[in-house]
Amino acid sequence: MADRYEMRLPAIRLQQGAQHIYCFGVDGKRIHDFATVSRVHRDDDQLQGYQRPEVLSHIRAIRRYLESDSPLLPNAIVLAFDERVKFEPSAPVGDLSYSVVGELIIPVDEALPDDEKPAWLVDGQQRSAAIRDADLAQFPVAAVGFIAHGEAEQRSQFILVNNTKPLPKGLIHELLPDTTGHLPVAYARKQLPALIMTRLNASAKEIGTPFGGRISTPTTPDGYIKDNSILKMIENSLYEGALYQYRDPSDGSADVQQIELHLNYFWTVVQAAFPEAWNLPPLKSRLTHGAGIQSLGYVMDSLTEGVPAAELPGLDLEKAISKLKPIVAWTSGTWDFGPDNVRRWNGLQNTPSDVSLLTNHLLRALR
Amino acid sequence: MKFYFPDSQDLVSPTYDFQHDEYSPLRVRQRDDLYAHEILDTPPYSGILVSKSIVDGAMKGAGKYTSAQRARLYRLGVERFFRLPKGVESLGDNGAFNYVDELVPPVTVEETLDFYIGCGFDAGVSVDHIIFGYDPLASLDDVDPAWAERRRITLRLAEEFITQVSEQNLNLQPVGAAQGWSPTSFADSVEQLQKMGYQRIALGGMVPLKTKDILDCLQEIDKVRLPTTELHLLGVTRVESMDLFSDFGVTSFDSTSAFRQAFMDDRNNFHTENDAFIALRVPQVDGNPALKRAILAGRVSQKDAIAQERVCLRVLREFDGSAGAIERAIAELDAYETICQVNRSHQAEYERTLTAAPWNECECSLCKTLGIEIAIFRGTERNKRRGFHNMSVLANKMKKLKSNVLTSTTRSNHG
Repeated sequence: MADRYEMRLPAIRLQQGAQHIYCFGVDGKRIHDFATVSRVHRDDDQLQGYQRPEVLSHIRAIRRYLESDSPLLPNAIVLAFDERVKFEPSAPVGDLSYSVVGELIIPVDEALPDDEKPAWLVDGQQRSAAIRDADLAQFPVAAVGFIAHGEAEQRSQFILVNNTKPLPKGLIHELLPDTTGHLPVAYARKQLPALIMTRLNASAKEIGTPFGGRISTPTTPDGYIKDNSILKMIENSLYEGALYQYRDPSDGSADVQQIELHLNYFWTVVQAAFPEAWNLPPLKSRLTHGAGIQSLGYVMDSLTEGVPAAELPGLDLEKAISKLKPIVAWTSGTWDFGPDNVRRWNGLQNTPSDVSLLTNHLLRALR
Repeated sequence: MKFYFPDSQDLVSPTYDFQHDEYSPLRVRQRDDLYAHEILDTPPYSGILVSKSIVDGAMKGAGKYTSAQRARLYRLGVERFFRLPKGVESLGDNGAFNYVDELVPPVTVEETLDFYIGCGFDAGVSVDHIIFGYDPLASLDDVDPAWAERRRITLRLAEEFITQVSEQNLNLQPVGAAQGWSPTSFADSVEQLQKMGYQRIALGGMVPLKTKDILDCLQEIDKVRLPTTELHLLGVTRVESMDLFSDFGVTSFDSTSAFRQAFMDDRNNFHTENDAFIALRVPQVDGNPALKRAILAGRVSQKDAIAQERVCLRVLREFDGSAGAIERAIAELDAYETICQVNRSHQAEYERTLTAAPWNECECSLCKTLGIEIAIFRGTERNKRRGFHNMSVLANKMKKLKSNVLTSTTRSNHG
């Protein structure tokens, strides 16, 4: 390959107000031949560039995805060109006056140092690095470019493009169970707990399904127990407690049916012991509050660790849970945590320290 | 002679992807991970030593356990939490090193016993206070008063400890902690502990001592030691001297040294029965703090570092032991060191490692499955596996000890 040449890419020029943007496809493997990511550095005390160093773990995650079966990267990377880049219309302007087909001409000189390359990556640094690193011969990506006049314009574009809001958490949790294929690490870990929660929530409010319809999610707006309280309780138990027994550590899969059985059995006992508190929202009941759900999750771990769901009826959990009755104040009265620590029933917050205070209080009563 | 491995939550993940240097996204720490006694064919130690300060936290910050892990340790007990196979014992102590700067130990005998009994240890060391200093000429009375006070505290707490163990009829072998600054003071401590009823005594504060000093102390102790009293050396590994120690009643010791040398030592990273080799340093561009800082400051090119890191890994994985391969590997490692601006070149040491390729001869299950990867100094998963390998070497060395052949036939009963 010659190290100085022109890259001609079919492109569509769009008119946006007084400006033009160019939509085109380009082999991701070649982006770095003409584009720089301009990392932040100081040159004679003057701040140059605007971008952070590559986040290698993020790049690796994208790269692994790209190397998986049939990867798809539909969002475009964004490039800011300098004035050396030209556009040649190849067709007369048609009915759509704002859209013109043509060729984008990018001068490539591989010998140029990074900071003199004709394009700057505004968005897609991690993605283009992942493509560069991936074991693929080529990987064409969608790109959008604009010809910027000066660095200030490029910098403001960078801030605008990176200002998009991530999806709301609750929606993601609701979408996760029915998602297949490669997921980012944080979501992959949440997938199983989210699936279990969805199943607990699925059935209507009937006997033996203490959580049915009670967990608040975007599609179950009438639920009153926070999805996050339930997710935390499930995750804790799955990783540190009684539900771990249903997990296969070699691939992270789990026997969801047994988990459901286990949870439903235990929480039905809880529901039966405290029927009123179970039917009230967290504002009126600390039982359905994050503190209550999580603490009782730890109680479940303590009472049922290592015991398979089928054997739970033999444990006489009813008797154990009824031991808690004299010491709880779910909906009124006070919690007596010790000589200097008496709190009103609603003086408990959903904080790690209050959860552990309540957990220890409950566990002591069981000993 | 028994070797105890001090627990510091050192585990490896069996699903770690060495090719891509990634954990499984679904990995659960500790539960999915494996201890040395689980991943090696045979446990490389006869017991584990667990310190209260590591579990519960102490003066120097929180412990190494999350609160959920701590709760599970108490719930399941030490045997199930650590998934100890039959024959691997558990010994508890306070981790006195963590409160060495305090005037008095910040922990009571009662709390310590709660920890030992709550977790179900086989044996537990009484609460002690470390004396940092050695002066063989100082007498029992004419010595730094702080040292004398620490010895008094240690003895007083030992008495309280054994009294509570016997009064409450606890199922725990009490191990008396002996502190001292000289052969005479250690011997006196041992004598007093024996009078309290201890049949097993742990000697503390000997880590910085020269082998000769340890022997002097053991010799002096031997004059008062009852034939049935067993000694434990806290934090001391001198395998070459173990036969000598054993002549003076030492039946066990604990140490992290073989394990930690895998990634803390400048050169003795990979042990063999008669030798030690430097590991091949290929730091992770995104995992190595010094390298990260240099990249942020613009002193090291991230692009070049990533490219050379990959070349190094590829060359090492293709390594076939030929002269050409050795030369190539050294050249690429050297080029990476230059990019990373490492001051000292390791060329000569790398040549020795690559020429010997000791992992090829090793029979441990880690070397057999990992090959050259275990000799790469890089990230916790490789480094800890190399540490586990070193412990298996230590275990083999110990098997050949004269004293070990003896104890295996005259092994005493605990519990």
